Amino acid sequence: MVTIKHSFSATVLDDTGALATTELAHACGAGEDWVVQLVEVGLVEAEGHEGPPQQWRFHSSALQCALEARRLQRDFDVGLDAAALIIELQGEVRRLKSMLNAQGLRLR
Amino acid sequence: MEFKDYYQALGVERSASADDVRKAYRKLARKYHPDVSKEPDAETRMREVNEAYDVLRDQEKRSAYDALADRVARGGSAHGDFHPPPGWDEGFEFHHRPGADGPADHAEFSEFFSSLFGQAQRRGAARHNYRARGEDHHAAIEISLEDALHGAEREITLRAMEIDAQGQAQVVPRTLHVKIPPGVGPGQFIRLAGQGMPGHGGEPAGDLFLEVRIAPHKLYRVEGRDLYMTLPVTPSEAALGAQVRVPTPSGGVVEVTVPRNARNGLKLRLKGRGLAGKNPGDLYLLLDIVLPPADSDAARQAYDALARASSGFDPRRNLGL
Repeated sequence: MVTIKHSFSATVLDDTGALATTELAHACGAGEDWVVQLVEVGLVEAEGHEGPPQQWRFHSSALQCALEARRLQRDFDVGLDAAALIIELQGEVRRLKSMLNAQGLRLR
Repeated sequence: MEFKDYYQALGVERSASADDVRKAYRKLARKYHPDVSKEPDAETRMREVNEAYDVLRDQEKRSAYDALADRVARGGSAHGDFHPPPGWDEGFEFHHRPGADGPADHAEFSEFFSSLFGQAQRRGAARHNYRARGEDHHAAIEISLEDALHGAEREITLRAMEIDAQGQAQVVPRTLHVKIPPGVGPGQFIRLAGQGMPGHGGEPAGDLFLEVRIAPHKLYRVEGRDLYMTLPVTPSEAALGAQVRVPTPSGGVVEVTVPRNARNGLKLRLKGRGLAGKNPGDLYLLLDIVLPPADSDAARQAYDALARASSGFDPRRNLGL
C-alpha cells in the first residue's frame, strides 16, 4: 500500500490550546450534557466553571479523565461517582508503581 | 490479512447471548486491565478483546460477521490471505450512532476490522444522509525525557481512513510528522486538527489527539511536571554536609549543598529545574546514603573508630529490647 506523508505542526492542550465543552464532548464521543455531569461530580476540572458551559475550558488532565470515565462507563456500566473513585485510585497505583520502579523495585 | 475469530477472542460460543458476550467481555477487561494485569501480553490481548466486543455487542455487525464467517467456512481458507468478498455486507446496515459507542478508538483495531466495518459504516451513514463532523481519534506517543525537555520531531504511522476519488473510504497507512514542542509532560495531549476520521456529508474531519507518554529514564522519574532523581552520597557527606555536583536534565551541572546530619531519603528541591513551561516543574533529589565497603584495614579501622565515637547511638532503641 502507498504511504502518504503529511507534514504539519501540532498544538499542545495547555493554557493556550484548551478544549471547549463541545470539543471535549466530541473527543469522548459524548454529548455536552455528559460533560456537564463530569464537572458536577468533580471528575474533571473546568476553567471558568462559574460561568455557563459554553465558557468552560478544559486541559489535558480533563481529557484524560473524561476518556477514562467514558471507557469505564462503556465497559462496566459504572456510575460517574464510582468512575471518579476508580480513576483516582488508578492514578495513585500508577504513581506508587513508578516510585517503586525508580527505586529498582518491581511489584511483579 | 488474517480472518479473526471474535468468538474465540472473547471465549464464547457462537450461540452466546448478548448477556453472555457482555459478561465474558467484562471478565476479560478486568483480567487484562493494564494496571492490574500480570499477563505479559495484556495490552495486545486487551486490544483484541475490545475489537471483538465492538463487533459482537452490536447486533447488526454481529449478524454480518456471522454471515461472513459462514461464507469463509464454506469457501475454505480462513487463514493467511483473507479478503472480504465483494458485497459481503449486502443486506446489513451499520448505523452510525454518535455518542453510543464512546470515543472512536478504532484506530487501534486490526486491518481486518477496519476493512470490514470502516467502509460499511460510512456507507450506512451516507445512505442516511447523515451529516456530522468526523470522529476524533486517539493514540499515544512515547517520547524520551530528552525529547520532552528540548522538543523533537517525530514520525508516527497510523492506519487512517481516506476518501478516494470515487468517494469510497479506504484504509491507508498514514505517516505524520509531528513537532513536539519543548516542555510537554506525561498525560498531556497534542492535538492535530483535522487528522481524525473524515467528516460525514461534507462536514469537517475530526481531530487526532496524541497522548504523550515519557519513556523510563535511567536517572530521572517524571511526576506531573516535576522530576525526581536519586542522589547517592557517602555517610560522611550526609553527616558533615557537603557540596556535590549534580547533572541537570537540561544537560548542565549544578553544585548542590547537602545539609549537615542529612538523613536517608531527604528531599532536596531545585526550583524550576523540572519540565519547562508556563509553570515549570521542579527537580527533586532524593538522598541515598551509600556505605563505603569495609574492604581494607583502613576502612575497618575507620568504622571501628566511628562506632567508638558514637557508642551512645542505638538505631534499634525503638524495638523494645
